[in-house]
Amino acid sequence: MTEHMIEPDAALASGHPAHKAGETLIELRDLDKSYGAFKALQGMQFELRAGEVHVLFGENGAGKSTLIQIICGVQGFDSGSYRLFGEPVSLMTPALAHDKGVSIVFQEFSLIPEMTVEENLFLGHEMVQGLRLAKTEMRRKVHAVLDRLGFALDPRARVRNLRRAHQQMVEIAKALLWDCRVLILDEPTASLTDQEAAQLFDIIEQLRADGLGIVYVSHRMPEISRLADRVTVLRDGKYIDTVQMADTSEKELVQLMTGRTFDEFFPEITRSAGDTLMQFEGVTLQRGMAHDLSFSVRRGEVLGFAGLAGCGKSEVLRAAFGLEPLSSGQITCGSTRLERHSPRKALSNRICYFPSDRATEGLAMSQNLISNSTVAALDDQKFSRRGMLLKRPAERSFTKEIIEKLKIRTPGLNARADQLSGGNKQKLMIARGLSREFDIFLFDEPTVGVDIQAKLEIYDVIKTLTEAGKAVVIASSELAEVMHMSHRVIVMREGAIVGELDGDEVTEQALLSHFFAHEEPAAQAAGEVN
Amino acid sequence: MTVQTIRNTARRNRILASIGILPIVLIVTCGLLALYEPRFLRSSNLINVLRNASFLSIISAGQMLVIIVGGFDISVGAIVALTSVSSALSIVWLADLGIGSTAMVVALGCLLGLIPGILVGLANGFFVSVMKISPFMVTIGTMTMAAGIAGYVTGGTPIYDLPELFTREIGRGSLFRLPYIVYAAALVLCLLWYMQTQTRLGRYFYAVGGNEKAARLSGLNTRKYIWAAYVLSALLAGIVGLFLTARVGSGEATLGSNLMLESISVAVIGGVALKGGVGRIPMVALSALFLSVLSNGMSLIRIDSKYHIIIIGIVIVIAVAAESYRERRRAGHG
Amino acid sequence: MADQTQSTPLDMRAIAPHLLLPLAIIGVVVFFAALQPAMISGGNVVNIMKQSSLFFFVAAAQLVVIITRGFDLSVGANVSLVSVVSSMVMTSLLPGLGTGIGVFAGVCTGLAIGAALGAINGALVAYARINPFIVTLATMSIFTGIATTVSGGFPIFNLPEGFSFALNQMKILALPIPLVIAGAVAWALHFMLTRTVHGRVLYVLGDSNEVAHVGGRRVREHLFFAYVTSGILAAIAGLLMTAQTGSGEPNLGTSLVLSSIAAAVIGGASLRGGTGTISAPIYGALLITCLSIGMNLQQINGSLQPVVIGAILIFGAALDAYRTRGR
Repeated sequence: MTEHMIEPDAALASGHPAHKAGETLIELRDLDKSYGAFKALQGMQFELRAGEVHVLFGENGAGKSTLIQIICGVQGFDSGSYRLFGEPVSLMTPALAHDKGVSIVFQEFSLIPEMTVEENLFLGHEMVQGLRLAKTEMRRKVHAVLDRLGFALDPRARVRNLRRAHQQMVEIAKALLWDCRVLILDEPTASLTDQEAAQLFDIIEQLRADGLGIVYVSHRMPEISRLADRVTVLRDGKYIDTVQMADTSEKELVQLMTGRTFDEFFPEITRSAGDTLMQFEGVTLQRGMAHDLSFSVRRGEVLGFAGLAGCGKSEVLRAAFGLEPLSSGQITCGSTRLERHSPRKALSNRICYFPSDRATEGLAMSQNLISNSTVAALDDQKFSRRGMLLKRPAERSFTKEIIEKLKIRTPGLNARADQLSGGNKQKLMIARGLSREFDIFLFDEPTVGVDIQAKLEIYDVIKTLTEAGKAVVIASSELAEVMHMSHRVIVMREGAIVGELDGDEVTEQALLSHFFAHEEPAAQAAGEVN
Repeated sequence: MTVQTIRNTARRNRILASIGILPIVLIVTCGLLALYEPRFLRSSNLINVLRNASFLSIISAGQMLVIIVGGFDISVGAIVALTSVSSALSIVWLADLGIGSTAMVVALGCLLGLIPGILVGLANGFFVSVMKISPFMVTIGTMTMAAGIAGYVTGGTPIYDLPELFTREIGRGSLFRLPYIVYAAALVLCLLWYMQTQTRLGRYFYAVGGNEKAARLSGLNTRKYIWAAYVLSALLAGIVGLFLTARVGSGEATLGSNLMLESISVAVIGGVALKGGVGRIPMVALSALFLSVLSNGMSLIRIDSKYHIIIIGIVIVIAVAAESYRERRRAGHG
Repeated sequence: MADQTQSTPLDMRAIAPHLLLPLAIIGVVVFFAALQPAMISGGNVVNIMKQSSLFFFVAAAQLVVIITRGFDLSVGANVSLVSVVSSMVMTSLLPGLGTGIGVFAGVCTGLAIGAALGAINGALVAYARINPFIVTLATMSIFTGIATTVSGGFPIFNLPEGFSFALNQMKILALPIPLVIAGAVAWALHFMLTRTVHGRVLYVLGDSNEVAHVGGRRVREHLFFAYVTSGILAAIAGLLMTAQTGSGEPNLGTSLVLSSIAAAVIGGASLRGGTGTISAPIYGALLITCLSIGMNLQQINGSLQPVVIGAILIFGAALDAYRTRGR
């Protein structure tokens, strides 16, 4: 691929000088950033050179997002220094960053759903003739960039009507529409197929050859192995190390990231698979996110659901809990067929669900810990008389119990849920699993936005539950997590079950091969991570 | 079913989806009225309808802009009253001073009269975009204040003795039998249409209302645009105030009291989504026309004015229910 | 006992927000009393108590739905319609069945209507899932229209004296009856909000309907009931206000809506939902009433009073925005 970058537009401040390879583009030293009492970054160091792909590697909550937000001006920082192209930066804004040639592809989409693809691509930087929008020019440029990227998108389509993968493509095209000297990508392949991802990697390598500095945020080994020149590892908001990819093994990287090896990180869970507690037979969801699902959930073992974002695994768990209407098939729990299923019905059938979206479905953010811990068990006679009058002392003692048991760090019982850190919020949500008698536990993305310490504590909970004979189901987009925590893994792709692996069959290679349509994964890891 | 009929159905559904059923409802209503009540088609009546639609469409266009950026403007009615009072007072005061011709007195008086309304718009924009107070609360607050000030200043009585140039020529005059307000409305609507579809400003209103965070990430100064929407809404309300005062012939502190509710009704029926980010001028204009036809029709059929408001309330509920039903179905199939 | 040399220190920062409103109210009273000593005369204090009690009910009606992140713009219309219909019932039954039954029937009708109006709002918000702002905006017009139609646009006079006595002039233990009723209702509401499952769910709904749904609660039923409660509270206000004016008025509640929201918000409820206790309508009603009565005593022009209320509304909302920033 030798086609050069889009020539600078005359209307723009064109002609960003080309950089010599190795020239320092961005330098961050001793950076601190806090959100109130929460220290997002402490003493962060980062350096980006021209002509390199520099990976930011770390768990959720490690500070990667905060760091790139500071680089591109969405957030400020409290102390430390930031030098961009050799000049110290005091106040960066997104508009300024864009003008200076720093482009960013966000993880959480920065698109306007009701506007079209081309309107979004040019948002904030429209081409004008006087007062009037130069629509033909913009259309031409949009076609040019879409062709070059090989993205098959209709510029006139409304973003809200696009599949998530296509929305991500729009994000990428938006960043590459203008000349840039620094490109930042935040988990860009989360929704792409291997073909689209491969195209993206080609483009990135081309941009590197052209002298750009590229910051690539990811925790997927295959991509990092392929693209990275250097890797900076973050953990819990602190700078750990910067290593040359060529000199470092994946095992060492993971060890840097988590501070321990996989063997130590994921607990060993004894498996004693018992009777089937829940069964899906030919289930198809009304909303079309998943179809023809048949599987069973058994006591005493962890069943994992793996697959790319959007594959339908979350929806399967939601259907099990009554949040997704069925168009065909049936779900049975024990001997009861779950018809006109609802969360209320699920709870009374001893099924507990932990949603992936804490803020909108999991916790009532301005209510206190007590309210949140008992919200799913208000009808239980433990907490209310005849389901109408609250037994407040009982609620208080239960809340104290779970705070101790799950080691929830909180200013007090009456603290509001939104005052807790991510990991503690997650633990609070999980506490509801202890508020009444449950047999089946559904964890939807159990450790998103959770720091390492809390992660371990949550894995411990899963271990305890499973070994006590409960049935545990985990849906996770983190390959390592679903691989090491599950006894049995069901792989999904585009709404269908494409494979079921049991025990020793569960390897990264096997899983990846099911993720993608082709037999060979896009960027195959050399061996497994173990 | 042949392939051709399937394609036609799909095309029809696409067209329906983009313009909705409003044009059809309008045509049907007009048709029914024409059949049932021949007075409807009399030119004097039609001019009446057009005149009312003109007032309504200007003020609803302003409301539309505010709703697009994610807010509400409850104060538009009070701005009309405030402008009426202040313009009448200014004209009378300037006339007493005896400077210049009547035309100049009227022109200057109108300009001065617009100022308090614009100040209200500036205040609204400030409190909403800078202090981040709920638009609902802010505009209710400014509404009560503006209405109170207008009432206080007039002491409860209208302001008379406005020059004839103002009341007869502008208020009741016409060009080719159409009142001046119709031309004013046409001009305003065209300008706004141009702004919405052909300028950056138009797009930025949609962006700010559609996803404020994303707009900010794209480098937009969202504060500026939210502020601007409120000022424009106030300005448009002020213009309506001027023309209404001219028509009524005196400065009234009670002018425009229904307009707030009506402007929101028109916007909602005209496809402006309450969540923001959506809304087009042509549909709002059509909706204003529809509501004028409806009111006119109800009067002609001699439905008591007490019931008008009930019927309009029901129409709003139906329109919003239909919209939220469509939204939910679309989300369900997303 | 001798060992307790130091009691736990008062945490001023925790207590301060709770003192803000009572201090503001005292401040207002002191301010107007300085200008007009009549402000704190015995008769005026009773007046303030009565007016605040009346206003408390509409503010409380607003509180219940504000907690769920909703609005009730139709409270005023509710008050008017209840006033008109209950008056009509009382005056029509009076000749035949006597005062006792007439008043009783009137009160029951009034409460039933309040509940019905609340149910209409509740059905549209909870089951048809329409934005509460739009629903109550529409029902406000519809109910007002009905009140005007039913009453023919004129007040309804000749209400039984027993009615005005029972609901306005009577005193229990030297306390005016509206105050007693308000006190009882306030206690009942407080109980509902803090000690019942329903109350707990209302707060959760204010944060997110989905959280309540995932928690297995019947979201629609709880929301519906919240609006019915609001309707009944508005109806009580309507009855008490009618007893005060002595006639059924089709415009009794027209100016109440905005002040009721102002009162609830200034008193501590948040428009974003999920917070607000019974103290909100109590303090809010007291504050606004003291201001209104103070301004009346000062003979401030009737047109300017809304200006002050409007300013207070914006101030209260700014406070609310400040309190809930970052949510």
